[in-house]
Formats: sequence, structure tokens, C-alpha cells
Amino acid sequence: MSLTASNWTGRAALRVSALLVSALLVSAIALAGNSHLLSASETGDSPEAKPAATQTAGVNDPQTTEQVSDELQIDDFDRDHWAYQPRTNPPIPDVDNSDWARTTIDQFVLAKLHSESLSPVGPADRPTLIRRLSFDLIGMPPTPAELSQFLGDDRPGSYRRLVERLLASPQYGRRWGQHWLDLARFAETDGYEHDKVRPNAWRYRDWVIDVLNQDMGYDQFITSQVAGDIPSPNESPRQSPQIATAFVLSGPDMPDINSQQERKHVLMNEMTSTIGATLLSLQIGCSQCHDHKYDAISQGDFYRLRAFFDRGVKLKTNQSVHVLSANADPDAISQIHPRGAWQLPGPPVVAAFPRIANPLETEVTTETHPRVQLAKWLTDPSQPLTARSIVNRVWQYHFGTGLSNTPSDFGVMGEEPSHPKLLDHLASRLINHRWSLKDLHRQIVLSATYRTQSKPPVTSGGNAKPLQVWQDAKQSDPANRLLARFPRRRLDAESIRDAILVACGALNHEPGGPGVSPPLPQELVATLKSGQWKTSSQISDHHRRSIYIFARRNLRYPLFATFDRPAANCSCAIRVPSTTAIQSLLLMNSSITMDASERLASLCFNRHPVDQSSQTQELYQRILSRNPDKQEQIDCLQFLSNQAKLLEQEGKPQPALAALTDLCRAMFNCNEFLYVD
Amino acid sequence: MNTAQSIPKSTGVIAPDFGMTRRSMLKNAGGGIGLMALQSLLMADEHSPPRTALPPHFAPQAKRMIWLFMHGGPSHVDLFDPKPDLTRYAGQLLPESFGEVMTRRKVATNPLLGPVRPFRPRGQSGLPISDFMPHLAEHADDLCVIRSLHGDSVNHPQSVYQMNTGSILMGHPSFGSWLAYGLGSENADMPAFVVLPDPGGGLKGGPSAWGSGFLPPTFQGTTMRPGKTPVLNLKPQPGISNPQQRATLDFLRKLNEQHLLARDRDEELSARIEAYELAFRMQTAAPEVADFSQETAKTLSLYGMDQPATRDFGQRCLLARRMIERGVRFVQVYSGNTNGWDAHKNVADNHGEYCGKTDQPIAALLADLKRSGLLEDTLVVWCGEFGRMPMSEQGKGRDHNPWGYSGWIAGASVQGGRAYGATDAIGLRAETDRVHVNEFHATLLHLMGLDHRKLVYSHNGLDERLTGPSEIEIVKELLT
Repeated sequence: MSLTASNWTGRAALRVSALLVSALLVSAIALAGNSHLLSASETGDSPEAKPAATQTAGVNDPQTTEQVSDELQIDDFDRDHWAYQPRTNPPIPDVDNSDWARTTIDQFVLAKLHSESLSPVGPADRPTLIRRLSFDLIGMPPTPAELSQFLGDDRPGSYRRLVERLLASPQYGRRWGQHWLDLARFAETDGYEHDKVRPNAWRYRDWVIDVLNQDMGYDQFITSQVAGDIPSPNESPRQSPQIATAFVLSGPDMPDINSQQERKHVLMNEMTSTIGATLLSLQIGCSQCHDHKYDAISQGDFYRLRAFFDRGVKLKTNQSVHVLSANADPDAISQIHPRGAWQLPGPPVVAAFPRIANPLETEVTTETHPRVQLAKWLTDPSQPLTARSIVNRVWQYHFGTGLSNTPSDFGVMGEEPSHPKLLDHLASRLINHRWSLKDLHRQIVLSATYRTQSKPPVTSGGNAKPLQVWQDAKQSDPANRLLARFPRRRLDAESIRDAILVACGALNHEPGGPGVSPPLPQELVATLKSGQWKTSSQISDHHRRSIYIFARRNLRYPLFATFDRPAANCSCAIRVPSTTAIQSLLLMNSSITMDASERLASLCFNRHPVDQSSQTQELYQRILSRNPDKQEQIDCLQFLSNQAKLLEQEGKPQPALAALTDLCRAMFNCNEFLYVD
Repeated sequence: MNTAQSIPKSTGVIAPDFGMTRRSMLKNAGGGIGLMALQSLLMADEHSPPRTALPPHFAPQAKRMIWLFMHGGPSHVDLFDPKPDLTRYAGQLLPESFGEVMTRRKVATNPLLGPVRPFRPRGQSGLPISDFMPHLAEHADDLCVIRSLHGDSVNHPQSVYQMNTGSILMGHPSFGSWLAYGLGSENADMPAFVVLPDPGGGLKGGPSAWGSGFLPPTFQGTTMRPGKTPVLNLKPQPGISNPQQRATLDFLRKLNEQHLLARDRDEELSARIEAYELAFRMQTAAPEVADFSQETAKTLSLYGMDQPATRDFGQRCLLARRMIERGVRFVQVYSGNTNGWDAHKNVADNHGEYCGKTDQPIAALLADLKRSGLLEDTLVVWCGEFGRMPMSEQGKGRDHNPWGYSGWIAGASVQGGRAYGATDAIGLRAETDRVHVNEFHATLLHLMGLDHRKLVYSHNGLDERLTGPSEIEIVKELLT
């Protein structure tokens, strides 16, 4: 359903008027005090800074009653929004041309395309498919051996076998783990001034990689992350490890701040916002200062969600946070903070689920730990958001754009899905297949939709139809939301580096362990406090996969920062690729490219000492995952010959090898390498 | 969520508030083949920095800006805010009437410390400046000192973030990123936002101070430094000759053009091809900016390049001038390593050292900008992340004070020779015509022709802006 302009305005007006009331209340509080109310009470010494309800309010105390009085009730009007409606299990559309369809996804996509009088373009060729699939599932290109194996496998089911091989590869978790770490705003340091190392942060990173590789169900995956510290009688300790709860505490933190009360408030609010955005795709964080302007999420909803966690965190001055611990701080008070100010105590609250996402009005009981109940609620099939949220994210990582392109905001200001029925279909399927993400990947990458071309067909033999189909699709749907064609995408930062290392044969496959620190230019190290970047002593450690590079919050690894890896200060759902000259300088001139080019040139040169055609063929296979055509061979040979001549004139040693090195460098910079068709 | 992301790429909206976006305006203006080439250069990717200037919201007083950031927190009561009462009551305790004071190092009950150097009226205006800054004092009539700045945290990193991003929390876009996002660059060969960090390093809060936060990473500050390679990776690796590099780039271009032909001349791919040409031009343009060989000996001496104490900051002030001359929109120059102006122990020693390093170069920068006429539409800002307490620390030092402190602005036809606002009798809290950091930012944006309420970026369901969610007013009195 779509929200019309008039009822949207009504909703907004309602919310805004509630907001005004609360703003007036806060102003009244502020006026009642002196003008230095906030700064004076920050000391925590003044009596009025103490929370109003003394020490008894909390999630486990059934005596505590809610004292939030002026909260707007949620009505049908508020719930009249696609994301808050119960998930359906829509019928699979009947379509003509069902030969084309390979998985149920295709029937949904095709039905929509047909409704716009469009058709899908033709399938991509096999070298394109293996490159696309490899980067997508494991974040690396195929090796020449894998490439020739796939291209030579003409038995039926070769593509499916490739899919299974990649999904079973341990590299899968090292690719998809990073997607989750982006959402978890994961870094291995605190940030702020001291940016101290969190010595066990890498264990969370490894946990994410491991359980994704094991295809842990998404329900268990998030259960561990919100309640993994709480022993459960039915589970072995391995299944709910405390380390998983580092998820909620992975954001920036300032352990040396003056007021630990302020620190905890900031931390808990950030945590609550992140949980809302990542697990529910709701911008609950907007409600920490006042009721949400557009969605039916009140301040009370925010602080009730926070109340699940208030007792799980006990801060100590100058000590970094790490994981949740059941009842770490049994005296923690759960209350609203008017205007989001930690010094302003508001009415006490008890833990409860956000009302707009709780159609069954499930209540928190005293039977089990509240966070266990939160996990159960999050993964309850009747809860409308969680499954939709993760399906949309997985779709986005495969296609570059989610079915809804606001993956962390399914609220009324978010974008409605392009294929709402498909989203529900996949969400239902996910739940019915024990929340298996690998099953979801399979559904997607085996689809015909995933296997279409990303570039215009080459017209030959007088058949103009494929080109017409392409042009129609491009003209009617320039943003490609209907997916008549596969969207071309730039490699992300980590894949660029990993692909360079794979191509030159330097990648160190060692898994896990503390983050490694490749050398950095001195100019960058100088911007840090001294001693904050200690280059790893083992050279082989400099060539570990990108996910293992030490994630210092105050200094992203330069190649990553330049190619749009997010700063780990807030949950990042979409990386926005940019195109800058600084990227070109880095890729053309940095020692990373130079070293890799020298390695790769030597490798090819030693393997094919005099045969330049074989050298260039190997370069094409290693860098672009395909063989060069005739004209490309000729162009490369001509470049090698001219460049060698130039270098010889300059008196350079080994001009032929140096020319090959330059060819490598050019190819590591070319668009065909940086983009996946 | 970023609005730009939820809109089809080809209609790229970068600043949702301009109705017709500035890029779509450029895109739709006129036609012809030449313009198409220009289009691919300018607009292939809405998340990349515009390589041209974007129109401001209204006619600006300043077209460019140099921000001199004194890291550590310079002492207003010893530099720009004379307090006779502080002299009078030196050695005594803070009177109870001042109430409770939050401090970083619990100095509230320490005896008051009088100004450590005398103040004198300067210039025709008689604006008082202390003896710490004799060179700057000669430009008193150009300075508008704001004596009533105030912020929200007694901690360095939070205040460094607030002065740079408007928020005490980590991860918001910096002032320069907002400017780059809003105004673009005037020079296609140079970034819009350049940072010249102190070579001593160790800014408290780190490079997030010039980070782009939730704006696309491309708007973050580009750090540069004096010398032959002012930008990282600007030069090819040692041993690569220019003809060799050019030939490699030419071959790259050939590969890319063949690739592009088979892909409908995709705009993003075209933009990346152009980015390599821009990178190649930067290899010439950036060292040219940092090449002082055409500057006269007199100029170099004016900036203090012939003195060890002033050489570094002088170089960076001159570099800042050369950058804004070449169309860089915003240059931020940092003074102070990890400790910088953080005079906990001894104000006289610390500020003696840091004023000694910066006083002459800053005066030279003002004189130089004035001589060339650039000062008329260039805004110069001087401040730290906070000021210092009137109470003493360890006898002769002072603790952090975010509750009231001084900064100054000059140029851009802002009237100089005056002080705006006031702290209380001893310089503890801003009292009259208070200027919160958010209001300061709103005013600076206004001087640059931007309305802070309209410079928004949609992120996670909120229309984010530099000045935060509250209603913030500009300080009109600072505009003239």
C-alpha cells in the first residue's frame, strides 16, 4: 500500500504536535533551573541530578510500574505501513516465458517486468559469471586454475557446483563477515583521544566469520549477539558465546570521560539506536531525544528497548568495554531522559518491545532473562521486521541495491520495496529454511535474474531483438530497479586489495587471530598519537586478507578509506562508491600496486621467459579472469615492445621485465579490474 | 538514509534542498557535444566531489576560508580577554557566587591565577591584546574577537570534535566537509578541503576531526604538507620516469576506452577515466602550490621562514595562502602536537612557546592577504577547542574551559578592531551575547553564503546538518 500525501501529512502533524508538547515540557524544566543547570549538575553532586526513582526500577522488578503518562497510543493509522503489516506468503506469480525462470525469484521479477512491458536481457557469458559470483560470494577473483576448470566444465550443473564450492569456501565468511561488521560499526579501538586497543575485539570478528561459514541460522546469529552472555539450559556454551555480544558494544566510547554516568548514557543510546537500525531496520535512535517525528516510535519505546541492556553493562573508568554480562550492573536505572540529556531524569520505564513492531502485543515476563525474551521476540515469525530486514540486506549485497533502498529505515520515511511480494516470499522462505543465509544466497545466485548481462549485447547475425530488449530496459528503467539487467558494480575497498594480492600470488590465507598492521606511510602515522600503528613484524602478515587488517577507529587503512570503507562510528548499511583523483593516485603510485606489479611481472616472466603472448594471457587471467582476444594481445605486445624500448633508452635494467611490470600496473588500474560486470 | 541513494542514480540529488539540484541544473543546461564531454567530467557520479564550484544559497561575504586551529586550548584570559578582577583577586579562591564548576582536573577550588602577561590597547581601535602576541597586535584593527564562545565538554577530543563537527560525539562530518559538499571546488585540479596538520601529530580525537562522517568519504579533508610531495602518492614510485608514467597511463586509457565502448559509455566509468587525467594534472598542480621558489625573500622572511621557531607554521601559513589563491575553498591549519596549547603546568612557558611559533606567521598571513586584496573575500578564523580556567593548576598552569573563551575572525568585510560578547568578571563563563559553537558555525556558514538550515544531508531518516537538530540562530552582529 502506498501512503498518500494527505495522510502522510496527518501523521507527521500528529507526531510533530506531540513533539512540541515534550519540547515545551523540557523548556519548562530548563527555565525552572538556573542557566547553568546542565553544567552544574554534570558533577553528579547536586541532588536533583540523581535519578528520580531511587534504585528500585528495573526490568526484573515486577513491582515497578511504568510512569510514562503522556504517550501517544498506536492505532491502525500508524500500523498502515507496509513494514509494520504482518508478513504474507504471497502466491508465486504465473508468468509467460517461464522457461526463463530458474528459481521462484525469477517469477516475481518477470511478472513485474512484464507489467512494465519489459523483458530480461540475455545471460552473461561464463567468464563474466565466475568473476561475478566469486567476488560476490568470497570477495576474491577465481585463480587461473579455477577459471579454466569452470570454463572447461561443460557437464550440466557446472554453475550450481561452482555456487556450492564458493558457499562452502572458508573465504565466504571473510567476505560476508565484513558486510556484518559494517553494520556492527566494528573497530578494534575505542576512538576519541586515546583510541585504546580493545584487545579481544578480534575474537568477535572471528566469531562472525566462523558462524557465517557454518551457516548458523540468522535467528541464532542475532540471538547470540543480544543475549549470548546468558547461559541457556538447552544450549551448549559454544552456541551462545558471550563474545557475540561484542556486537552491541562495538561502537566508539570514551572510557576516560569525566562522568561515567554520561559515558554510560551515550553508550546505551548508541547501542539502542544501532540495534534498532541493524536488526529491525527502524531508526529508533531518532526517538532518544523526543518522540519520532514520523514513525510511531515514542521516547518511551526507545528507553524501554534500552532497558533490556541497562543492567548488562558496568563501566569502569579508563577501561574499554567488551561484552555484555548478565546483571553486570544490577542497580542500573531504566528511565526516560527528556531531550536525550543524561542529566535530566525522566519517568522510569521497564523493558518492553517497540510497540509499532509488536502486533501481538507480546509482553516481557519475569520467567527468563529479559534479553533472552528480546532475542525470542526479534526472531519470532510473527514479528514483521527482522526477516524482511535481513533478506533485504542480503539482496542488496548481491545486487548493489536492496529491494527497499533504505535498508536501515523501513519506517514511513524509508523507501517502499520495489518488489514487496518478493521480499515477503523470501522472508517467509528464510524462516521456513531455519533462517539459513546460505539457502537465501543459493536462491538468489541460482536465479536467472542474477545471471543476466550487465552490458549491451553485441549485435551479430542481424538479430536486433536482444539490443532492443536492452535499450528498452535501459530507457524505461534507468535506475534498474526492476532488474532486467545485472547492475555493474565497483569492487569495494577490501576486494580491490584482496584481488591484487590474489593476482600476484601473495595472499596469505591464514585465518583468524589478532588484527595485522601492514606498513603505512609515515605521513599518516604522524597524524596519530605515537605508538598507535605498530607495523606487523612478519612480512607475510602484511598480505593477510583485508578483513584481518587491524581496524583502528581513528585511522582507517588508507586504501580502505580512499575506496569508501565507512568510518566505524555508526552502523553503515550502504557503502556509497565515489570516484576521485586520490583513488587514482593511490592505485597508480602506491607501493601496494608497485609491489604487486613487480611480483606478478616476475611470476609471469619466470613462467613464460620468452613468450610474451603467454605472459599477457596469464595477466588477463589473473587480473581480469578471462583470456585476451586477438586485438588485445596485439595491443599488449605493442605496449610491451614500446615500453621496453623506452626503458632501455633510459638505461633501466631488465627493460622487458620492467615493461611487463608497467603492464601489470596499468591493468590493476583499469576499469575492467575495478568493476564487476 | 542518504536521499541520494534512494533516488535513481541518473537523477543524482546531492543537496535535496535546492529544488532543482545544482547538478541536474548543470546537466540540463544547454546541449551539444562539448557539453556532453563536460557532463561526463562533472556529473557522472553524484557521490564524488563536484569538480567545479556550486552556487551558494545567497551572495557570500567570503568565498574561501582559512581556519587556524590552536589545538590544546589557548588561554583567552592571557591572550584576548583582559580581566582586571582576575588580577585583583589572584591567589584567592573562586567566590561562592560562581556556583559549582565542572572541570577536567578538579581545579574548582584552586586559587585564581592572574593574567601572566600584560594586556595593552592596540591599533586605532584600542582592542586589547596581551604581550604574548606582539605581531598579531599590529593587526588589531582587522580582528573581530569573540569573547563569548562556549561549548559543551571539558574533554579535548569531544571539544575538538565539537569545534570541527558541531557534535561532541565522534563521527559527524567536519565543517570543511560540509563546505566542500555545499560549495564544491573552484579549482578542478585541487581538492576543496585541505588540512595542514601539525607535523608533531597526535591531534586529540585524530583524523576524525576532518572526517566526512556520514557524508560521502570523498568530502573528507585532504591532508597536505609543505615539500615536494604535498599529497600522499602524488609521485610515482622512485625510478619511474615521467615518460614511462605517461606511456603507462596512455595504455591504461586505451584499455579503459575499449572497455567503455562496450558498455554504453557509462558515466561512472567515464568519470574514472577522467579521474586519472585529473590525478596526472595534480601531479603538476599540487607540487606547484607547495613550491615557494617564486616567493620573494622578503615574503619568506615575513612569514618567519628564516627562523627555526616560526619556520614550520610559517611554511604552512604560506601554503594556505597559496592554496586559497588557487581556488581551494577551505584550508585548516593546525598548531600544536598532542599537547599543543594545553598549558596545565605553566601558561607562561607553554604559550610563550606556541605564540612564539605562530604569532609572526599569522600576522604575516593577514598582512599578505590584505596586500593582495584577498582578505576582502577571505575569512580567517582563529580559535582552539576551548579556552582555559581562571583558576590555577599546579601553580602556574590552567585547566580546560569550555564554558567561556575567545576566538577571532578577520577579513570578509567583517568589521575589525572590536570585541563581541563577554565572559563574566573573571573569564569563567560566557555571559553577555553568548555564542555557542553551533551558533558560531551557523554564522561562519552564513559568511560563506550558506544557510545552515538548508545545508542538509539525509541520513538514517534524519535531515542532518552541521548545527544539529536544535534551532540555531546566526549571530547577526558578527556579519558586518
